Amino acid sequence: MNASRWLVHWRNLRHRTAQTVLAVAAIAVAVALPVVLLSVGGGVYTHELASVQDAGFSISVDAAADHGIAGAHALVHEIDGLAGVAAASPILSVAVEIFPENGSGVPALVEGIIPSAFTATQSSAERSLLPASLTLGDPDDTIHYANGTYDGPSSDQVLLSTPLLQTLNITPGSSVLVSPTANRSAGISVTVVGGFGLPPGLLGPSPLFVALLPLSQLQSLVGLGRSPGGSLLDDADSIQVAVLPSLAGNPAAVARVASAVQALVPYYSVTSLTQQTSEIRAAQAVITGFYVGLSSVGLLVSLLFLVIILMRRVEQERTSIGIQRAIGVPGWRVSRDLVLEAEALTLSGGVAGIAGGVLVISALARWGSPTVSEIASLAVYEPVTLLALLAGLLLMGLLASLLPVRRALRLPLPEVLR
Amino acid sequence: MTPEPTVLLEAVRRVYHSGEADEVRALDGVSLTIDPGEYLSVEGPSGSGKTTLLNLVGLLDVPTEGRILWQGQPVERMGERDRTRLRRTGIGFIFQRFYLLPTLTALENVALPLLARGVAARERDTRARALLGQVGLAGREQSFPHQLSGGEEQRVAIARALANGPRLLLADEPTGELDSTRAAQVLDLLEAAHRETGAAVVVVTHNPIVAARARRHLVMRDGRVVSDTAGG
Ligand SMILES: Nc1ncnc2c1ncn2[C@@H]1O[C@H](COP(=O)(O)OP(=O)(O)OP(=O)(O)O)[C@@H](O)[C@H]1O
Ligand SMILES: [Mg+2]
Repeated sequence: MNASRWLVHWRNLRHRTAQTVLAVAAIAVAVALPVVLLSVGGGVYTHELASVQDAGFSISVDAAADHGIAGAHALVHEIDGLAGVAAASPILSVAVEIFPENGSGVPALVEGIIPSAFTATQSSAERSLLPASLTLGDPDDTIHYANGTYDGPSSDQVLLSTPLLQTLNITPGSSVLVSPTANRSAGISVTVVGGFGLPPGLLGPSPLFVALLPLSQLQSLVGLGRSPGGSLLDDADSIQVAVLPSLAGNPAAVARVASAVQALVPYYSVTSLTQQTSEIRAAQAVITGFYVGLSSVGLLVSLLFLVIILMRRVEQERTSIGIQRAIGVPGWRVSRDLVLEAEALTLSGGVAGIAGGVLVISALARWGSPTVSEIASLAVYEPVTLLALLAGLLLMGLLASLLPVRRALRLPLPEVLR
Repeated sequence: MTPEPTVLLEAVRRVYHSGEADEVRALDGVSLTIDPGEYLSVEGPSGSGKTTLLNLVGLLDVPTEGRILWQGQPVERMGERDRTRLRRTGIGFIFQRFYLLPTLTALENVALPLLARGVAARERDTRARALLGQVGLAGREQSFPHQLSGGEEQRVAIARALANGPRLLLADEPTGELDSTRAAQVLDLLEAAHRETGAAVVVVTHNPIVAARARRHLVMRDGRVVSDTAGG
C-alpha cells in the first residue's frame, strides 16, 4: 500500500461528498454516545470508589456494652501488629459539661483518642478539618498512661470544635474546665490548644459540640482507667482499624484483615466497611452493561446505515467495478478497496465521535447546570475503552463491507459494460 | 505444425432468459477460430449478437452451450479467478464508451492493469508513461478523463489495453462516439499495435470504413455468422 492508493481512496470518498459526510456523521454520533456514557459513568464510579477507599478506617471493633472494650491501649498495640493494618485507633466517647473560666457550662461530647492513631484512621477530607499536627501534648498517649499505671504527667490539653469555641466565646490559649457532671468543681482544667471543623454528616447532622482529649486523661477523669480497687480497666467504646492504602480498594484483602482482628477479639463484634466498595463495583458493572447495550444499539443502527451506503456505492460504481474486473483486476483487490473505504469511513467516524464526545463532555463541564457540570468534570477517558471502541469500529467496517463486496464480485460483467 | 489458435469456438450458444418463457438466442451455434496475429472485423445489424460474441471471446461471459478453447484450454473448466487472470494477462479491451475510471488520472488508468499484475510502482510509472507517449498523449499524464476529449480518452483506453502486452485486442465500436478524424487516429493506433505486437485484433463495428482496415470480415445475423471472408 503506497500513498497514491490512499490518494485514490480519498478521491473516491470525496467524489461522493454528501454520502461520505453522512456516513461519517452517523458513525460519529453512534460513537460519541458510548464515549460520553462510559467516560462520565466510569468517572463517577471511579470518584465514588476513590472516596470510599479514602474513608480512612475500614474495620471497626465494637463492644456490646457502653465503654465495653477493656485494655484498649494494649489491644490497639496488638492490632497494630497484625499484617495489613496501617493504624488502630481507640475511641472513648463521653458526655461532659465544658465550662469557660467564668460563665455557665455547655454540654458536649468529648472523645478520648490517641492523637497519632486517630489522625491515621481519618479520611483525607476529615484530616483536612483537623489541625496539622494533632499532638495534644502526647501524640501516642504513652506518657500519662505509663504502662497502665496512669501515673505519668498529664498533658492537660484539649481541642474544641469550632461551634463549641464560638458558643463558649473563647480562643485557643485559654483554659476550660471539663467535668463529667453538671458541677464545675468535679472538672479538670485543660488548655484549649486549637479548634477543628466538623465533617458534614452523611446520615444527618453530626454533634456540633465536640472535644478531643487524650484517651488516658479522659479515662482517668471518668474513672475508666483504673477501678477504685486499683485493677486496670483501660476502657474504650470502639477501635477503628485502617488497613494499608494498597489494600483499601480490595474487599477480599480487607476481609482477611478483618478476620485476623476478629480472631484476636472473638468476644467483640468486628465489621468491615468494604461492603460499600463491592456494592459500588456491582452497581458499576450493571450500569456499564446497560451503557454498552445502549451504545450497541446505536452502533448497530450505524452499521446498517453503513451497509446501505456501501451497497449504494457499489451500485453507483458498478461501471467502475465492472471495468476493473474486465481488465483483470483480481477480485481480492476490488474487495480490499471496498473494505478500505469502509474502514476509512468507520475510523473517521470513530475519531470524530471520540472528539465529539470529549467536546460534549467538556461543554457540559463548562456550561452545564452545577450538578451536570460537576458530574461531567469527573469524566475519565480510559485509553483501553477508546481503543476497544476503535477496534470494534474496524470490525464493524469489515462486517459492513461483507454484503457490498459480495455484490461487487457478482456484478454481471456483460450487463454492466453494455 | 500450425500454431495453436488464440481462441477457438465450437458450436457456441448464448441464450438469455428475459421473461417467463421468453428466451433470446443471442448466439445460436457459432464456430470460429481466431489465430494469432489475425485482424478481424465483425459486422452485422443491431441485435445480431456481435457484443455477445466479443464478451465470450473476451472471457467476460460463458456460453450456455458449446465449447471455447483459450489457447487450447477449455474455458468451461476455468473458474472466475482463472478467467480474470487470462483477461489480465492475455486480453486488452477497448469499449465504445471508453470506460476509463473517472477518479484516476490518465497515467493511473494506464497503470491499472500493471498494478493488477503486481508490477512495482516505479516500473509501472515508466511503462505507463511510455504507453501514453505511444498514443500521442505525452504531457497529459495527470489529466482526469473528464478533462480529455473523446478521442484522447479512447487513446488512453488503447494504451491501457496494451499495457500488459495482450495476445488479443478486443474492440467494440471503438470509434462509435468519435468524428472521422479522431476515428482515423484511433484506428491507426490499433493497426500500429497490431503490427508491432503481433496481437490478434477483433473489431466490432457498424462502420464499413472501420471494417475495411481488417484482413478478415465476419458478418452476423440473428446470432449466427453468415459470412466469413478474407481480404481488405
Ligand atoms: N442481458 C441480456 N438479457 C436479455 N437479452 C439480451 C441481453 N444482452 C443481449 N441481449 C439480446 O441479445 C441479442 C444480441 O445482443 P448483442 O448486444 O450481442 O447485439 P449487438 O449485435 O452487439 O447489437 P448492437 O449493434 O446494437 O450493439 C439482442 O437481441 C439483445 O437484445
Ligand atoms: Mg453491441
